[in-house]
Amino acid sequence: MKGTELNYGDLEGVLKGLLENKVVDCLILPRRVGNNVSYMLVRDKDKIATPESVIFAPSFGINAANIVKGWMIAEKVGIVAKPCEIRAAIEMIKLKQLNEDSVLLITVDCAGAFANEVYAANYADIGDQVDSAKIKELAGKGISIRDACAICDNRLADVGDIAIAQAGGEKAVVAGLTEKGEAALSAAGLSLEDKDLDRAAEKEKIEAEAKQNLEGLPKISSEEALEEFLRDCIVCKNCRDVCPVCYCKECFFDQPLGNPVGGDLLNLAEARGAIEVPTNQLLYHLTRVYHVSTTCVACGACEDACPKDIPLTRFYPVIAKKVQELFEYVPGKDAKEPLPFTTYEEDELEEYLK
Amino acid sequence: MGEEKGGFEPKIVGFTCNWCTYAGADLAGTSRKKYPPNVRLIRMMCTARFDPMFAFKALLNGADGVFISGCHPGECHYIKGNFYSRRRIAAMRTILKQLGLDDRVKSYWISASEGVKFANTMKNITEEIKELGPNPMRDKIL
Repeated sequence: MKGTELNYGDLEGVLKGLLENKVVDCLILPRRVGNNVSYMLVRDKDKIATPESVIFAPSFGINAANIVKGWMIAEKVGIVAKPCEIRAAIEMIKLKQLNEDSVLLITVDCAGAFANEVYAANYADIGDQVDSAKIKELAGKGISIRDACAICDNRLADVGDIAIAQAGGEKAVVAGLTEKGEAALSAAGLSLEDKDLDRAAEKEKIEAEAKQNLEGLPKISSEEALEEFLRDCIVCKNCRDVCPVCYCKECFFDQPLGNPVGGDLLNLAEARGAIEVPTNQLLYHLTRVYHVSTTCVACGACEDACPKDIPLTRFYPVIAKKVQELFEYVPGKDAKEPLPFTTYEEDELEEYLK
Repeated sequence: MGEEKGGFEPKIVGFTCNWCTYAGADLAGTSRKKYPPNVRLIRMMCTARFDPMFAFKALLNGADGVFISGCHPGECHYIKGNFYSRRRIAAMRTILKQLGLDDRVKSYWISASEGVKFANTMKNITEEIKELGPNPMRDKIL
């Protein structure tokens, strides 16, 4: 791996260099809006100012990968985002929703994020970046990271083309994770040296903590519990719209069979005596969890988007994780690895069919 | 509602492939093997046509059981259709297991020559589902 250690102040130059040297045609970058953080699509390098104050900001609004869904043009886009967002982009490449050759994936370290409204409200306490000790301290004050972040075991910048890793103090290591990433950094004007970014011990610690937090989440383990869990769902399908890996051109639940109206509704009520309306509440979530079961990157965007505050992290990522374990598949790890449903082995899984 | 456990006759929705299990059911019939009439078979050309949504919908609409069966792996009429469906069914059952809904789903491989196996499987799954009792979702407003 090739990279270099920089001061935070130098990151601005690196990102500007990517645009200036036409490594990418545009960049998707976090930006500060008041006390909060949102994303911008930058064409003009002069619009980039002090990125170091915001790229590590522990705030999650939407999954940045969602912005480039359907980016099939030749112009190159660079995305600076958290590991879950980059992993979602890698899944989108596999799902043919994103042109691999026209995207440069730049991952930043993430210690866990707050829902962006929580972040904005407590900006004075949280600041521009946090570490695990600070998160514990804030939790003591009743300011907690998102459930999806608490159960996340992929917080280190180790996916994508380029990693921006925190190296303690005001230092960051910028390193190419792929040849494409190394070439991009060289073209942006950085002189690279051999860099060892092996953080196995840190990763182990994060995994242990995540596992413990996952076990602490309440389980939905019966049909009654599922009904109770989804009782307030208004089937607005927001969780689908913000999901980076939910990508059908026309969702089944927007079609007449999945979204019956008029006479169709009446016929359904006729058959069962009475039906819940809006219809297909449970069927929608069951079908969706199956559709995203192998590709869910557990970013928790669905929970953030739910207008009824249903804690969907207890449903989508938790259930999907078991399916991913079944296929020994980690979504977003490698763009070359086939999706589980597009491949098979001749002798497998029989014990799960009994 | 109100059916006694002994008198309860489950309704099981069966998804079978045209080439193996449906032909197996045919063989069971022509060889006059007796089996309980609780399964309603839906014939598809291949188990790869089976979408887990079918099972979710059947269960939510009150089916007491869901039965899925096709050619043995490696013997698919379309060479590899059931390899893909095996992955999907395993994923679906993993999801349902976590939600405590999996015990009403039965999946088998039954070939066209296994009329006896088909009849016995029908007997067994009907017994198993009778044991579970009626699907509580049938009388709910869902």
